[in-house]
Amino acid sequence: MTNLDSGSSPLAASGSSGRSYTCSWCGMASDGTTLSCPACGASVDVKSVVSRSGWAELPGRRDMAKLQFGNSYCQIEGTYVPVADMNLAANDWVYFSHHVLLWMDTQVKVGAMSLKGAWKRMLAGMPLIMTQAVGPGRIAFSRDAPGEMISLPLQPGQAVDVREHLFMVATGSVTYDWFQSNIWFTTKEGDEQETHYPLGMLLDRFQAPTVPGLLLLHAAGNVFVRRLEPGQTILVKPTAFLFKDTSVKMQLHIERPAGTWRSWRSWGDRYLWVRLHGPGRVAVQSAYDKLEDNGRNIISHSGATTRQW
Amino acid sequence: MTEPQPHHDPLVRIECQWCKSQNEGTALTCRACGAPLDVKDMVSDSGWREAPRLRDMTEFQFGASACQVEGEIVPVAEINLGHGDSVFFEHHVLLWKDDTTRMSVLPLTGGVKRALAGMPFIISVAHGPGRIAFSRDATGELVVLPIHPGQELDVREHAFLVCSHTIDYNFVRIKGLRNILFGGQGMFMDRFIANQSQGILLLHGYGNVFQRNLKPGESILVEPGAFLYKDASVGMEVEPIKLTSGFFGGTSMNLARMTGPGRVGIQSMYVHHTTE
Repeated sequence: MTNLDSGSSPLAASGSSGRSYTCSWCGMASDGTTLSCPACGASVDVKSVVSRSGWAELPGRRDMAKLQFGNSYCQIEGTYVPVADMNLAANDWVYFSHHVLLWMDTQVKVGAMSLKGAWKRMLAGMPLIMTQAVGPGRIAFSRDAPGEMISLPLQPGQAVDVREHLFMVATGSVTYDWFQSNIWFTTKEGDEQETHYPLGMLLDRFQAPTVPGLLLLHAAGNVFVRRLEPGQTILVKPTAFLFKDTSVKMQLHIERPAGTWRSWRSWGDRYLWVRLHGPGRVAVQSAYDKLEDNGRNIISHSGATTRQW
Repeated sequence: MTEPQPHHDPLVRIECQWCKSQNEGTALTCRACGAPLDVKDMVSDSGWREAPRLRDMTEFQFGASACQVEGEIVPVAEINLGHGDSVFFEHHVLLWKDDTTRMSVLPLTGGVKRALAGMPFIISVAHGPGRIAFSRDATGELVVLPIHPGQELDVREHAFLVCSHTIDYNFVRIKGLRNILFGGQGMFMDRFIANQSQGILLLHGYGNVFQRNLKPGESILVEPGAFLYKDASVGMEVEPIKLTSGFFGGTSMNLARMTGPGRVGIQSMYVHHTTE
């Protein structure tokens, strides 16, 4: 299994040119003679911009950058709301949520890819059907908000956990599964109880079991990534969370001012976070939705750390 | 003795790759649409061309007026109207105007049909001399489309920003019941026609804008919410695609089949339409 956490290249071999270059974004090794990484499209000569706190911006991607997967290609076009324009080779296929489809050639075969656990997915508000498209032909995808497209090449054995509704498209060699986020809290007022899932009830898991695959996500605003050391933790706003390595653990964290019962109840005074434990990569987006919380009394919650000021 | 003047070969012209207007060989930007003339042709492998990214503060002429494009995330079209020139627009895109810029209303036919279709009942007109500026409410690109005599262009409703007075404005009903129900364009599209003289049309596309030329008979399937504009010669039909999987999984999506010949423009941040 490829271990990106070690910081070493998964394929640390020099190319025929005698040079070797490891992509700072996806860890793919190449000979560095191309302008952009052949696996994820990141500029090869880009200087990594890392904030003082350790967050790295998603590497700049040249407009019209071209990625290869299998015998197929993906060209990323546009900068405000980027488009993934795929040229699928015969028998290569991708799957996606049908609302991200922008356009396609008439010869592309489109059908439904059934998913297990339909009832739970329906309860969680997740798509019941993934749509699959089989080459040959061209097909393009985009989302409905300004932001960045994240290409996550997955090496054999590698997996990532992604917050719901961020997934755009994945190649057929990437398996799709989902699991309970287990981040929740229940509020009560009178006889009315309500359970909230700040990260969503379910998280998506994408894995490349045997051969490399490509996963494309769309984030709102800008994307920032950092690598947590073993045991290192960080608090992240749940709606800003994008994805993490499977080695990163999560739990709820609640902060509030020390004071009366009334301040505990007040939404204006309490903060709900996701605590992420290293080792591994975590990513956030800069434009996030408002976290839904009715401000009522929390009567129970998933395993959490708490802090009073 | 007078100094010899530099010789300009009248045959040296740069054709704008965006609007096909002819420009002087020394021009850096297209005089008709403002597109940089030295821009590399950013055409994707699949044949889509990105709308030219207008340089901030780019200025171009139409008639006795000038338009300056300001800003890049939500661009503003600022127009300095010459005497006798006028432009028309939907009133919700007006950003600011000089106090002295005179306004009126464009006479329209089919008011009841327009009201039923959710199209603007009143189109406003601004008359020069005076300055007036327009912008939309979302991140996107300004698309400058000079319309040459004889050209007809169909535009998604509410997508047009401003148009010069030399262009005739009408609206067309999308043929076919299924188009009306599922096409995502409502019942009508705006149609802009240049009869005798050239004019200019400015659109605002959400996200990035791409254009492709379809050959005669060539078809492509487009998400209806992404459709932005097309030549009148391009056919548009709705194609439903059914997706079913097991007991729970039943849905369908409706795509627009666009058939050439002609140009098709799409926006990448599309208006989402719920499907069945």
